[in-house]
Amino acid sequence: MDKAIIVDHLVKNFEVNQKEPGLIGAFKSILSPKKKQVHALRGVSFTIQPGELIGFIGPNGAGKTTTLKTLSGLLYPTSGFIEVLEYDPWERKPEFLRSISLVMGQKNQLWWDLPARETFELNRAIYEIPKREYEESLNELVSLLEVEKLIDTPVRKLSLGQRMKMELIAALIHKPKVLFLDEPTIGLDLIAQQKVRDFIFAYNRKYNATIILTSHNMDDLIDLARRVIVIDEGKILFDGAFEELTNKFAKEKIIKATLSKEYPVEDFEKIGKVKKLAFPQVTISVPRSATAVAAAELLQNFPVEDLTIEEVSIEEVIRKVFKGELHKNR
Amino acid sequence: MNKYWQIFKISLTQELAYRLNFIMWRLRNIIQILVFFFLWDAVFLGTNQIFGYTRIQIFTYAFVLIIVRAIIFSIRSNDIAGQVANGELTNMLLKPINYFKYWITRDFAYKFLNIIFGIVEVFGLILILKPNIFLQTNPFYFIAFIASLIIAIFIYFIILSIASFVPFWVPEIAWGAQFLTLTIVEFLSGASFPIDVFPNYIYQFLRFTPLPYLIFIPIKIYLGNFSYSLVFQSLVIGIIWVFILWRISNEVWKRGLKVYEGVGR
Repeated sequence: MDKAIIVDHLVKNFEVNQKEPGLIGAFKSILSPKKKQVHALRGVSFTIQPGELIGFIGPNGAGKTTTLKTLSGLLYPTSGFIEVLEYDPWERKPEFLRSISLVMGQKNQLWWDLPARETFELNRAIYEIPKREYEESLNELVSLLEVEKLIDTPVRKLSLGQRMKMELIAALIHKPKVLFLDEPTIGLDLIAQQKVRDFIFAYNRKYNATIILTSHNMDDLIDLARRVIVIDEGKILFDGAFEELTNKFAKEKIIKATLSKEYPVEDFEKIGKVKKLAFPQVTISVPRSATAVAAAELLQNFPVEDLTIEEVSIEEVIRKVFKGELHKNR
Repeated sequence: MNKYWQIFKISLTQELAYRLNFIMWRLRNIIQILVFFFLWDAVFLGTNQIFGYTRIQIFTYAFVLIIVRAIIFSIRSNDIAGQVANGELTNMLLKPINYFKYWITRDFAYKFLNIIFGIVEVFGLILILKPNIFLQTNPFYFIAFIASLIIAIFIYFIILSIASFVPFWVPEIAWGAQFLTLTIVEFLSGASFPIDVFPNYIYQFLRFTPLPYLIFIPIKIYLGNFSYSLVFQSLVIGIIWVFILWRISNEVWKRGLKVYEGVGR
């Protein structure tokens, strides 16, 4: 097996009932329901090697979760080809289900009125994990996430963050080879976020697990993903190394200059977009191709003491991805 | 097998976490029986036979009904509709587990508790109300009664599962579809009154629907009102219904999954 995941021209459409607002609208929709097709995925293709850790990024409604759900066999693809560990996810064969896990930030599989341990025990039986192996991985997970004291507390008495950690344990107790993480750090405090990130990284290394991670948390992506796939409106916009994101999408460069004399903003606006002016520093963003000209102009017309040219930060690029601005700039 | 045994155990633990809730549910059952008892006690005032039932038969019907209800109607799988509607089904689909077996196991755990309580209640009520009750001693009828109960458990489970799959297409009516089904079932299964009090042609028609096989037919078998051949016929029709409904339910499930969106998760 040289590919863990193959996705080829995946299309998924949903039918959505349209409803007009108000009571009359509700009656209308009962009598003559109006259906609208939503194109969640419009021909998505990518492959992933075993052991890769991939960041899946895009704005809300881009199709990230739909892709993950289709990969885990929850959604029936409208068309296209998918293979995960050489299984067709839709068949949901027991061997397939034993080797994957889908963790969603807002999903709960824990039994609300019982201690988390009961859910873990149940999963042990469901996934047919040998007792010793189960004890080992439970101890490892529990100490790694530091929840030893909470494991026998009824779940409803846990805080959101504590519950999220328990959810992670429940989802990983069977040591899946392929892991789909949808917003795994949502609702966690900073320390817990870091813990979960370290944990994901270690898990990826230790078990050579293939991981796809979606997150709106920039630190998650910067810390974890070597390769990112950017998706918007059901299409892949970028698939490649994290560092290339800037080259590909940052259409601008940043010029920072230190001046020895104060000038009004308008003077700099002829050169480029003024991002910040706080004497003696001025920050101007200019089109990539015009960088040299702009820098020369600055040096010629202003008393510049110091000047640097920088790439737009990766955070800036990701922020644009989340805002769904990338396709407009293309 | 171990899987489902674990599910059985955790279901029991869960039920006991909801002790008060459980007691209320049992209380509701007792009240229903009391209503039945006093209603028919009034009807039999001054007469000894009505609709072909003697006093002793109707009261036996009532008390066997407590046990049969506890066995047939006590279910947990009524949560299926909600799971489908709110996307909680996603959790189950991700696991190497059979969704139907999972729920029938949880039902059995719940039934187990209810049967124990049901038996205690019946003895309690018999001691208090001191009704005349008929005890079936013929082993043929008794074994056929047990067989008919097992058939009934499956018919009920499957009918309800079909109703529970409606929210695959219309998530808004998760509770509505189930409520309607339960009401019809309650009315035509013999849970409120023996259905042979209906005119004969209606009764003969109902006999070929699955509903009387839930409550009415098992109790009739217990009472020994059916001839041996009629008992056999009833069991066979019941089993045929299990298969027909099972095929329907499976087909609906498969189609439902194709349109499932796993919303909200």
